[in-house]
Amino acid sequence: MPLLEVENLSIGYHTRKGFRRAVEKVSFSLDAGRSLGFVGESGCGKTTLGMGLLRLLPPNALITEGRVTFDGTDLLDLLEDEMRKIRWKKISMIFQAAMNALNPVHRVADQIAEAMMAHSPGMQKPEAAQKVEALFQLVGIPKNRMRDYPHQYSGGMKQRAIIAMALSCRPKLIIADEPTTALDVIVQDQILEETRNLQREFGVAIIFISHDIAIVADVCHDIGIMYAGQLVEYGPRTEVFDHPVHPYTQALLASYPALTGPRARLQPIPGEMPNLINPPEGCRFCDRCPGATAACRREAPAWTAVGPGHHALCAQCR
Amino acid sequence: MRSGWSDRLRENWVIFRQNLLGKIGMILLVCFGLMAITSFIPPLIDPMYDPMTGVDPEIISSTAPSARHWLGTDFMGRDILSQLLAGARVAFMVGVSAAFMSIFLGTAIGMVAGYAGRFIDTLLMRAADIIMVMPTLLVVLILSSLFGQLNIWTIVLIIALFRWPGVSRVIRAQTLSLKNRPFIEAARVAGASHLRIVFRHIMPNVLPLAFLYMTFRVTSAIIIEAALAFLGFGDPGTVSWGMMLQWVWKTGHMFKAPYWLLPPGLCISLITLSFYMLGRAMDEVLDPRLRKEGQAE
Amino acid sequence: MELRRYVFKRLFQIIIIFFVILTVLFLLFRLAPGDPVSRMIDPDMTAEDARHLMEQLGLDQPLGVQYLYYIKNFFTGNFGFSFHYGQPVIRIIADRLPNTVLLFTTSIVLAAFAGVFLGKIASWHKGRSLDTTMTLGALVTHTLFLPWLALILIWVFAYKLGWFPINGMISEEIWLDPNAGLWLKTLDVAHHMVLPLGTLFLIHFGSYLLIMRSSMLETLKEDYILTARAKGLTEKTIRNRHAAPNAALPVVTSVGLSLAFSINGGALTETVFTWPGIGRELVFSVSHNDYPLAQASFLLIAMVVLLSNLVVDVLYAYLDPRIRY
Repeated sequence: MPLLEVENLSIGYHTRKGFRRAVEKVSFSLDAGRSLGFVGESGCGKTTLGMGLLRLLPPNALITEGRVTFDGTDLLDLLEDEMRKIRWKKISMIFQAAMNALNPVHRVADQIAEAMMAHSPGMQKPEAAQKVEALFQLVGIPKNRMRDYPHQYSGGMKQRAIIAMALSCRPKLIIADEPTTALDVIVQDQILEETRNLQREFGVAIIFISHDIAIVADVCHDIGIMYAGQLVEYGPRTEVFDHPVHPYTQALLASYPALTGPRARLQPIPGEMPNLINPPEGCRFCDRCPGATAACRREAPAWTAVGPGHHALCAQCR
Repeated sequence: MRSGWSDRLRENWVIFRQNLLGKIGMILLVCFGLMAITSFIPPLIDPMYDPMTGVDPEIISSTAPSARHWLGTDFMGRDILSQLLAGARVAFMVGVSAAFMSIFLGTAIGMVAGYAGRFIDTLLMRAADIIMVMPTLLVVLILSSLFGQLNIWTIVLIIALFRWPGVSRVIRAQTLSLKNRPFIEAARVAGASHLRIVFRHIMPNVLPLAFLYMTFRVTSAIIIEAALAFLGFGDPGTVSWGMMLQWVWKTGHMFKAPYWLLPPGLCISLITLSFYMLGRAMDEVLDPRLRKEGQAE
Repeated sequence: MELRRYVFKRLFQIIIIFFVILTVLFLLFRLAPGDPVSRMIDPDMTAEDARHLMEQLGLDQPLGVQYLYYIKNFFTGNFGFSFHYGQPVIRIIADRLPNTVLLFTTSIVLAAFAGVFLGKIASWHKGRSLDTTMTLGALVTHTLFLPWLALILIWVFAYKLGWFPINGMISEEIWLDPNAGLWLKTLDVAHHMVLPLGTLFLIHFGSYLLIMRSSMLETLKEDYILTARAKGLTEKTIRNRHAAPNAALPVVTSVGLSLAFSINGGALTETVFTWPGIGRELVFSVSHNDYPLAQASFLLIAMVVLLSNLVVDVLYAYLDPRIRY
């Protein structure tokens, strides 16, 4: 049985201008120990998806339909108290803009210990401190920095501390939302390498959210491409990379410079995402799709199998 | 720089209008304004209504409100309502002039400090630091011990002299950020003198901020003058609300004459409240982050 | 440690500021119109005493030398003789200082704690009636005119209801009674302190409440609050352990910035309630032309304000690790 099974999840926000359908009928599943990456441009709904899984959405958000089955339990059915027990202990999260994810007035070690003690009622401070020390060693932060405050850490160290914190309760799933965006490329590389190692070592499943397809391809077994709130392509890494089917995926890959191979022109994707308050009836990518037909505009595309474990949301794909 | 100025003003007015606090503040202020304007009327009706010298031939002590004296009379038989109205006039006068003066000083010093930089800047800001620490009321007290009874304009001046630091800080920060903008650079290259740059280019951009701060300065000036008058150090020739409180207190009527005790203090408190509300509303206009959702985009 | 260095730096700054004030006061008193000598020497003194005092204060010397005498006298506590009380000024202000510190410190501490606590609660119930009531209440009390509020409190609670004494700090009968114990005397002072404390408290807590409330609302939007929520902590823990300590920092800053305003209020309160403190002494001495006392009172008040500023700054540094480390 998969660790996480999401069926037809739809999430929207109440805004001044109307109800914005940020995530529309997204379905996927994730096995224990595997990593899945979600890629898409800003506004495509990937962050909303991540937050929705942990039910950390802001007050004006609403989950309109769907089921999120984690380890056999439907998360959307749980009471807030029960959900709190799941948070961090079973599923933890690494946030976007993690630079400010640590409370400035508490010591870093204390914040990690707090997470552990909250989920292990019997644990006392000394025991927690020991575990924090072990975690720090794991992620490569010198022991003598444990008693420091967040502002004394460099960006990379803060990120490592946050990863340590996410691992502290030995969760089964970590949702990482743009964890490396704020870092420079060298540190980014190190963090990704460590993430891979940690995943192997702990067998923790990861959902990796990023706008950068290159990073996701580096770390994840499976990739999901999101556009305008929908999952438009999904499959194993090699499949999606070598045989991209959806025009958006193709365009994404083409918009990246390749370090090797013949020099090709960079192809930016013209146009913008459709309005999600009144989304179009048919395919949402029509306006920017080079191969769009009248049928595409009229009817919503179906989730079609295009290869082993590989699906796409397109009427024309082959 | 100047284009879109009137558009912005109109847009700001819409936001301002929607703000409840601002509306209440405005209404209150308008009431006080009316009071100030009508303060000239009572003595014209009958000299016995003069706030300072009015003497009712039939009343020589403090009496409760009656048909002839709507708020009663003070210990000398003077009409309290006309005193209250005169007090409104004094309050506006003191508040607005002190605010103007301190804005003027603060803006000038802030611009000079921000623009000149280095030594002058440090010197001026240190002076500002020292002045900010001083309790204005007590400073005026000491000064009046040295110079005798102060007249109302001297008081206003001293208040302004102690209120400029707050404004100057903000103006200085604004000047600093403007100083390095391209259009200033361009002016300098074109040969404009420093004076010209400061007055023609920096000042217009800094003035709106200065006027915002004026609303806060007005209240503190009114309160300080009222406190001074209350303690007996005000200008004996002016009838202010603080002075009225001094009279009711010092003549031992405070327990006996609520009609005399309550109105002046209420007015001071309400005018403070109204300027505060106005200031908050203007704050929202100037700082978009404070705006509530649903307001003009 | 960083904190110590910070404290020393601030202390140094304060000493400089104080010296500037000292000097300005010196110049004012010597150069203002009128006879400077008559400002320091009581005209009712005997010629003998007058001359003695003149020598002590160096009033017959040129201005520069006078200044040196002035500084020396300041450090030796020689402020001359009070015209009104006929005693050395130092004795009077030393007597009054504790009373002011008691009232002032207690009122600020209470107002700050109440403001933080209530502001926190107001932010939890944002938009609901409890919040509206608190915010409105804070707004109204904050803008009341202090002497007026004081008079009204006296009128209602002391005069009409008789619950509290009308003025003063002590009841003479209790303090003159040889059998009265410390507890009784303390209670007596506390009883007298209720109304003046109440006045100061009401005027000040409002602004702290409003600041704390908006600070909490801002803080709750921060990323680390989201992290805390993701960690599965209870709302109560998040508000009290994560949000409030951060949100309280602007309140501390505000206390520091409004110290001058607070001391004005303190002087007014002391005057209306005849609380024997330095503020009242200043007002009293100015209205009676008791120059030596007025000058010394002012200097002492300046010192109190500056030291309070230092205390607040140090407190802030202690609470915010970003300053300390």
